[in-house]
Amino acid sequence: MDTLIQQLINGLTIGSFYALVALGYSMVYGVMKLINFAHGDLFTLGSYIGYTVLVVGASWVTATFGIWGGMAVALVAAMIGIGVAGLVMERIAYRPVYKAGRLPLVVSALGMSFVISQGIMAIWGPNPQAYLSGWTPKDFLQFGNIRVPVLQIAILVLALALMALIYWLVERTTFGAAIRAAAQDRDTATLMGINFNLIIIFVFALGPALGGMAGVMQGLKYTRISFNMGWLYGLKAFTATILGGIGNIPGAMIGGLLLGVLEALFEGYVSGAWKDVFIFLILILVLIWRPTGLFGEKSAEKV
Amino acid sequence: MADLTSKLTQRISQTQDQSPRRKFPRAIGLILLVLAVALLGAFPLLPFVNNYLIDVGFIVGIYALLGLSLNIVLGEVGLFDLGHMAFCAIGAYTTGVLFHQLQLPIVILLPISAIVAGGFAYLVTSPVIHLRGDYLCIVTIGIGEIVRLVLQNNPGGLTNGPNGIGNIGNPDFGLFSIQSPTQFYYYIWIVIGLVIIGLINLQKSRVGRAWNYIREDEIAAKANGIDVRAFKLLAFVLGAAIAGIAGNIYASKYMFIEPNNFSFMESALLFCIVLLGGLGSIPGSLLGAAVIVIFPEIFRQFATYRLLFFGAALIAMMVFRPGGLWPRRREGLGFAGLGIRKLPRDENALLAEAPVPPRPGTVPLRTYRLPPVTVAMSEGLTLETKAITLRFGGLVAVSSFDMSVATGKITSLIGPNGAGKTTLFNVITGIYRPNKGKVIFQGRDITKLKPHTIIGAGIARTFQNIRLFPSLTCIENVMSGPHCHAREGTWPAVFRTPAQAREERKIVDLASYRLNQVGLWAFRNELAKNLPYGKQRLLELARALATSPSLLILDEPSSGLNDKESEDLMAMLQVFLGEGFTMLLIEHDMNVVMGISDWVTVMDMGSKIAEGPPQEIYNNPLVIEAYLGKEED
Amino acid sequence: MAAVLQVETLCVSYGAVEALKGISLELDEGDIVAVLGSNGAGKTTLLKSISRLLVPRSGSIRLRGTDINKFAPYQLIQQGIAHVPEGRKVFATLTVEENLRMGIFGVRTMAPGKEYKKTREWIFRLFPRLLERRKQLAGTLSGGEQQMLAIGRGLISKPSLMLLDEPSLGLAPVIMQEIFRVIRQIHQEEKVSILLVEQNARKALAVVRYGYILETGKIAIQGEACDLRNDERVKAAYLGGAKINNPAC
Repeated sequence: MDTLIQQLINGLTIGSFYALVALGYSMVYGVMKLINFAHGDLFTLGSYIGYTVLVVGASWVTATFGIWGGMAVALVAAMIGIGVAGLVMERIAYRPVYKAGRLPLVVSALGMSFVISQGIMAIWGPNPQAYLSGWTPKDFLQFGNIRVPVLQIAILVLALALMALIYWLVERTTFGAAIRAAAQDRDTATLMGINFNLIIIFVFALGPALGGMAGVMQGLKYTRISFNMGWLYGLKAFTATILGGIGNIPGAMIGGLLLGVLEALFEGYVSGAWKDVFIFLILILVLIWRPTGLFGEKSAEKV
Repeated sequence: MADLTSKLTQRISQTQDQSPRRKFPRAIGLILLVLAVALLGAFPLLPFVNNYLIDVGFIVGIYALLGLSLNIVLGEVGLFDLGHMAFCAIGAYTTGVLFHQLQLPIVILLPISAIVAGGFAYLVTSPVIHLRGDYLCIVTIGIGEIVRLVLQNNPGGLTNGPNGIGNIGNPDFGLFSIQSPTQFYYYIWIVIGLVIIGLINLQKSRVGRAWNYIREDEIAAKANGIDVRAFKLLAFVLGAAIAGIAGNIYASKYMFIEPNNFSFMESALLFCIVLLGGLGSIPGSLLGAAVIVIFPEIFRQFATYRLLFFGAALIAMMVFRPGGLWPRRREGLGFAGLGIRKLPRDENALLAEAPVPPRPGTVPLRTYRLPPVTVAMSEGLTLETKAITLRFGGLVAVSSFDMSVATGKITSLIGPNGAGKTTLFNVITGIYRPNKGKVIFQGRDITKLKPHTIIGAGIARTFQNIRLFPSLTCIENVMSGPHCHAREGTWPAVFRTPAQAREERKIVDLASYRLNQVGLWAFRNELAKNLPYGKQRLLELARALATSPSLLILDEPSSGLNDKESEDLMAMLQVFLGEGFTMLLIEHDMNVVMGISDWVTVMDMGSKIAEGPPQEIYNNPLVIEAYLGKEED
Repeated sequence: MAAVLQVETLCVSYGAVEALKGISLELDEGDIVAVLGSNGAGKTTLLKSISRLLVPRSGSIRLRGTDINKFAPYQLIQQGIAHVPEGRKVFATLTVEENLRMGIFGVRTMAPGKEYKKTREWIFRLFPRLLERRKQLAGTLSGGEQQMLAIGRGLISKPSLMLLDEPSLGLAPVIMQEIFRVIRQIHQEEKVSILLVEQNARKALAVVRYGYILETGKIAIQGEACDLRNDERVKAAYLGGAKINNPAC
């Protein structure tokens, strides 16, 4: 029983990373109909930016803001940095090829993925780096027999709060409705006075920014980061996106959390070595049997 | 009638003939090719070439072979396969495992590896082959990773996990065995040479063209009788088999394989090779492999960053030169590029030689499994729809629709915007399956047939928004028509059997005849996308005619044409009528409808509201109401 | 009266296909005018050019004397233009209310205030069915309700000029009746200038003052609505009577 709960908490934590990354896939896909292959690498870049902020300013940042403040600074830096990176990426790799069709876009995205991951390797070196233990709180909370690190709870809460924020923004505000409207029908949205370019800028900044923050969280939680980890995270987050239905914002969140829990349970009760095989099988099976995701499309009617 | 025909031929003879443009004479190309092959052959013998350089040459060969194999899937068919290394891994591990478990000789394992890799590709891609481009791309990544992880997890103790399999033997042909770098160099390049000969033969056959049709426009390919699913699978199986061969050769050269030889990054490199070289270009794949392998060898200090450069190159390529470094040129070669034997040197002579196609309805139907003739049809009818109903969600697009098309006549289907006319066409041609009702064609129930089978049965169609194969030449576009009646498959194409050559000649004859008939002979070697709009319509018409149908279904043939072109089209349709084709058209230009139809059926909101001869329709109050609205008081 | 919209020798092409071959028309402040014609005549192309969704090859479009190119496409709504597109084009996965809010997005971003609420009440009075379904996803509405929503979404920005593209398309006669009643009402009571594009000539000519008949990209006939109603040439323009020897003509 205790292991079950422990695995569930672990699963939710990693699932919340998947969910944050999946949100970026889903938002960009919804508006641009583009699978942004470079998204997973932006996640990595985020964790390296957080790492650098903490390394370079370790004594100063932590001294000034405390441990919690230090982590917050790293998160904000990654958020801003990756948001800007997302915009730059859209400008140089995607905007010039929108008109050329779908496949050139996919190739360009793939190229971008190589450039970012290899660029990280060029800057920070091929060896994995580690978030130092001094940067994070070491306290535990005790629930019966289960000890949960305060850090993990904080990360989970923050990730869920971010998701709630995005949910509110996209599903409950007028601006969010405009994003959904633009995703559905660009011309009609323009007639309503929605500036499509603004929407593009928004999703290419916000989606990556969330991924960048997830990158820092993953560094804080698991300490080890490497230049090519974004590929695997990206693929898993994409699985989560497909699971929830691509373009579907709440679906991406639920898909991410569900995938994290499934992964943790499989690892805990079946086999750690085979868990990635299990996840990729989920990806393929969902695409075969329910390409619109578990929750399907929101509106089936098309007139 | 005769007057019309002579008017048409007159117009045709007036158009200027455009001879194929050629960059340089064929002889120079041939000399360069011989030089390149000679250089490749003499490379290990050159004085400054040491074993290290010979090994580089071998590695270029391995990547070239893999690039060629991926080029079939990615280049010819346009399927994004980012897990291609998995097939190479299957080949290599088949070799490694069977060598140790069954002590089979490496040489025998070569074809076995190819078969196992091809069979594996068939198994894993057949459930996913229908997926859209970017989804298929993700699935292949998944397959690639699953294969690598499974090998790493050492199932049944066969693969030895991350440690890999060592002590794999060298190929031994009995008389001699292959061991030294030089021997391996020749071994791989001879294999490449053989593969290239086979691939060129395939490229220049209906199989290769079918792949290209799918890449250019999948729906148009289906509507021209190409079994899209089968040809996609064929590409995967063939590509995987060649990758399996590469895996076998790799394993026998290094005598050691491990899962990480076949990582995603390797698949991505193959992807770069094909894209750098140019989709569907055989020399491009060779060039791409050379660049990918040699570039990091020269710039040793940057070797670790090779993917960084290749990534940037991919982006730059998509922005500035999406065709690749050495794209396959089609329009410059003329008919020589079609690879058909014994064509007359003067292409115009072909027109004189080409036999007149048989009358519609007398073409022997191909061996598609057609349903038997069971339904008795009223005399003089070619097509009947019986109570066709099609719903999209809650919306009834076509409602209990009965229509009949008389043999040898022109029937028009008209109706206001959104009446469901094109939807009905899509039901007849098998793109949609109706919820209720039947489509009867010449006594056969074709309701449940696939689009490509329906074409084979004798119904051809054109599209409202013209769907050509834009980057293929006009003659290649029209050559898709006879495809559905052709029999010779992959192996006859690879080996160019005499029967296959004869069939190819028939295809080009028929295509030439039809292309000339619509007045586009002069444009035969132009790419379809470079034609003006009106001519694109005619090209689509020629392509449909070339399927030798009994029934020709035209969706708004005159839309976008100017008055002159419209009139010519009407004249042309009359000529086809004289040839014996039955026609069914959707048309908005009422001048065309009233001018040439024998019978008009009117559709409004999914239902039939009237039918009759044109004059009657013109004065039918229900029709007037459907178009103009109800009389207001 | 001053012209709110002036179109002069407008030519539009899709690639090599000429869709409009020199169209000129005018709409006065407070006037209601119809552009009629069968499929493919170029009606929708005309409206899309006015809304700058298409770029004309030549010719000019002026809004109250100002060249329309001065405004970005998404800014036109601030100039009082509401374009109700062909085929309704409601946002299927947004609720009815969200669709309405989209209608003022370009005018007053974010905060739907008091005036918005007042206009919305008015729209709900025009189309009581929308009130019943305000929380429903627009994709689940019937065709007629979607058309009402599309018109309501156009009206909510209180436009001075409305471009209506085939509001009768695919609607049952009763619903069509209601839609045309509302069009008349907003013209008469709210003094909105209306450019109505229709295939249903008889219905449209019963509502408008003046009509243009488009035939393959050119204006074939124009005139006062009451004259056009009895003009045999209108029928010919739709049914192509020119080419057959019809004893009735």
